[in-house]
Amino acid sequence: MGKKIGSERLGDLYQPGKKVRRRREWRGVKDTLYDYSRWLHTMGVLGKFMLNKNNVKAFFRYRWMVNYLAVPMMVDRHTAGLRGNQLRIAHTEYDLVVEDIAKLMANMFRADKNTGNDQEFSKKIVILDENEMSHLLCGFPNLIGVGREIPAVYVSVLLQQDAVCPYIDVAQEYGLSGDVCPMPEAEVGASIEDDYPIFGACAIQCNTTCDGSLMGNGVIARRLEGEHGVPCFQLAAPMRHTEEGVQEYAAQEIRNAIKFIEDCTGEKWDWDAYFECAKRFNAETRERLEWLDLSTTQYPQVIGANLALYTETVYMAIGGKVQAFLDADKKITRLAMDSYRKKEMIVPEYRHRAIVWGVQAQYYTDFLPWLQNCWGILPLVDMLSLVSTRMISENDPEQAIYDMAHLYENMIMRNRTHGGYKVLLDDLWRFCEQFQADMVILWEHMSCKALDGMHGLFEEQAREHGIKLIWAVHDLMDPRVVPRASLRQDVNRYMRSVLREEPLDPSLEEIDDAASW
Amino acid sequence: MKDLKHLYYFEKLLDEANNELVREAQKEGRICVGNVCSLVPEVLLDLPGTFTVRLRAPRTGSMEMGTYYLTSFLCEYSRALLERALEGGYQFLDCLIAPDACSMINRAVENMELLKTMTKEKFFYRNMEIPMKADDNGLSVYVSECRSKILEPLHEIYGIDTSEEALLTAVENHNKVCKLITEIGEFRKEENPRITGYEYHMITLASYVCPKDLLVEKLEETLEELKTREPDSKKQYRAKVVMAGSEIDDVDMIKLVEESGALVVADRFCFGALPGREEIPLNHKEDIVTQVCRHYMYASQCARYMNKEKIQGRQIYVDQLAREYHADGIIYQQMKFCDYWAYERMVCSHVLREDYGYPVLSVDRPYAVGASGQLRTRVQAFVESIEIKKIQKNRGGVK
Repeated sequence: MGKKIGSERLGDLYQPGKKVRRRREWRGVKDTLYDYSRWLHTMGVLGKFMLNKNNVKAFFRYRWMVNYLAVPMMVDRHTAGLRGNQLRIAHTEYDLVVEDIAKLMANMFRADKNTGNDQEFSKKIVILDENEMSHLLCGFPNLIGVGREIPAVYVSVLLQQDAVCPYIDVAQEYGLSGDVCPMPEAEVGASIEDDYPIFGACAIQCNTTCDGSLMGNGVIARRLEGEHGVPCFQLAAPMRHTEEGVQEYAAQEIRNAIKFIEDCTGEKWDWDAYFECAKRFNAETRERLEWLDLSTTQYPQVIGANLALYTETVYMAIGGKVQAFLDADKKITRLAMDSYRKKEMIVPEYRHRAIVWGVQAQYYTDFLPWLQNCWGILPLVDMLSLVSTRMISENDPEQAIYDMAHLYENMIMRNRTHGGYKVLLDDLWRFCEQFQADMVILWEHMSCKALDGMHGLFEEQAREHGIKLIWAVHDLMDPRVVPRASLRQDVNRYMRSVLREEPLDPSLEEIDDAASW
Repeated sequence: MKDLKHLYYFEKLLDEANNELVREAQKEGRICVGNVCSLVPEVLLDLPGTFTVRLRAPRTGSMEMGTYYLTSFLCEYSRALLERALEGGYQFLDCLIAPDACSMINRAVENMELLKTMTKEKFFYRNMEIPMKADDNGLSVYVSECRSKILEPLHEIYGIDTSEEALLTAVENHNKVCKLITEIGEFRKEENPRITGYEYHMITLASYVCPKDLLVEKLEETLEELKTREPDSKKQYRAKVVMAGSEIDDVDMIKLVEESGALVVADRFCFGALPGREEIPLNHKEDIVTQVCRHYMYASQCARYMNKEKIQGRQIYVDQLAREYHADGIIYQQMKFCDYWAYERMVCSHVLREDYGYPVLSVDRPYAVGASGQLRTRVQAFVESIEIKKIQKNRGGVK
């Protein structure tokens, strides 16, 4: 228990049957004080948020708002075991993500008919899908893009594992099969339950990650258009996104979407504003490439769940629109380079270098810190962070349309679930080589048909490539189907019976977090 | 009613993918183009010198290999196709044109490719981009994909004539068969139809899995036979229904429903005739590929089309069918694990029931229903509920 990495028995912090842990982690005086200061910062953001009457009303109106009480705990879960620069990198990421979500929700509730009901402000908002790029808003500096599902569904489950189970139940009671992906299912459930804020000049829906996601949009549009009078545009991004023959189709969809927003809001597309964002977006991509480069070395620094969650925010939700994220990126790179030069490690021993592939269990994203702390498996990079690194045009309007089309085709997750087996199967082995990984942790999201459909070939080809492959079976948003303990059991069994290894931190091997946030 | 003269013949054709007519056409040197979805314009695969077969896996039993590669969470249609491919059941194909339409079929076909299940020397796969909205932009990509993924490879690899004249011949031949099947289907609109849903399903299904031109004679004879066929004086059904939803290629499915008392008068499902067996109108102003693609794009009732007009159009279409074919209710079905039809079934069941006032049975089902007692009970209960509602309505009670 102290300053040194691996000095705390992290499993001892869990309390069976309780939502919260026994106590905060002791990380030595300096790091503990720093960590505490960030905890205070998070509490400050929450406190400030609740000073606004719209937000207070929303807290009592929307069932999912109660999950936000668990924000500090969520940050704690994702910083478990970290010290020094690593701790600072993680907090730099989460400070900004927490602030961004708070801002997003404050905007929503200001415009929402059920809470703030600021109609003029509402006309400045364009609703986006949960898993959709936001680059279309880069050229509309006076408009705000808001994904309603992000705070209601996506983030809620990160905070509290069973947050969206009621919405899944609602959708199934309404007649939806239980075998579809629980993410769009929960989003549809929240819509059926009328548990989304009501606002917006228009909505841009997109066929994002999967067939279920596409179909869920139709249900949501029915309420949005039919009841709330919010016009919806369906942006169709091609499936075979790696092929040249579909790019004009994709580009035309972007042009049509821009026109739709212009027609609905009266705003005009502004190329100067767009290119300003494009420059920032490219700069962010360059920073990300630095981090990925570091992960190919013996001393990776920006890795795992924190990289995944931060990349999702920067790449999709921010898209170059906010300078603070670029500033944070640069700070992260400085910290990471400093650690790299000092050859600092994240856990005391690196036993396996792993690529994490597939769709993460949204109710257990801190499974990756657990992997590194318990077994010394370093989750170098995950599928969701391996998105496009192509530089986009900073001054050519015609090319910019194709760039945006490329980004919409290559949204997080979608860039791998669509586009044929090469981007899902072949790329995995390429990344294993690039990052010198000897192991693949393969999230098997049981309702994700695009991933399931490669199950047998993943196994066969892993053997051919000499890669150790561990399946981590889950149900994305529903811990009732596969609890967190079951995911850990998948790994424990493999590590003990196949690899005959002992855990780095035995206290973590069996923990009871069934009731935990 | 007396059995249709050629019913047994049609049934036999459905017993295996590589059926008698497929073998006959291949003996003549024609190229067999496999397809797996209604979104690939069938008529462009039926050119002079080629014929198409929509893949089925008749008499499917175990799907263990398919399940290993695809897991048990993919629909049984995709697993059954992969299983059959691994068993070598599609070795007769010369190429396979698949749409990247649903993840499951896409993965099934990719597995077939990666596992090298087809061994013919010139065999090729193509995965097509299919538009998700019916509009001009969608049409442009549809046309370019049909040219680059169907016509060009067929011409370059097998030397098939893909000229406008050849395409015109293909459409004319297609329309000839469709006209016959449509005329046969018209009898289902009668008060007491002279053809059952099962019989019609056999005829339609055969037209998807055989070289169509080789069926013409039997179809013409069947149509003639039907013109004078006398329906049973006592109705053999208790309610008429529209069968809507995901693909049905299982010969037992419609049989089971009809044995349970519901006559299927309209088949709005993949492998059905509505749409699928309507004629394709042509004009002289545009090239044929564009006209064909436009027809398929606007006629399609696939749940994958995501624009508002299409979504609402699907509900309106089922309502129209129910009126036109005098149906008492609607069976909305989906194959288990199908994402598209799971959502579509949920929404349409509510809309058709609440907005249009139809009794709706909403069910999911396996690929091969066999003698499913559960499904039979559901249909029987549904038929009974329709009868009760009718009685109540006649008494001036619940509407």
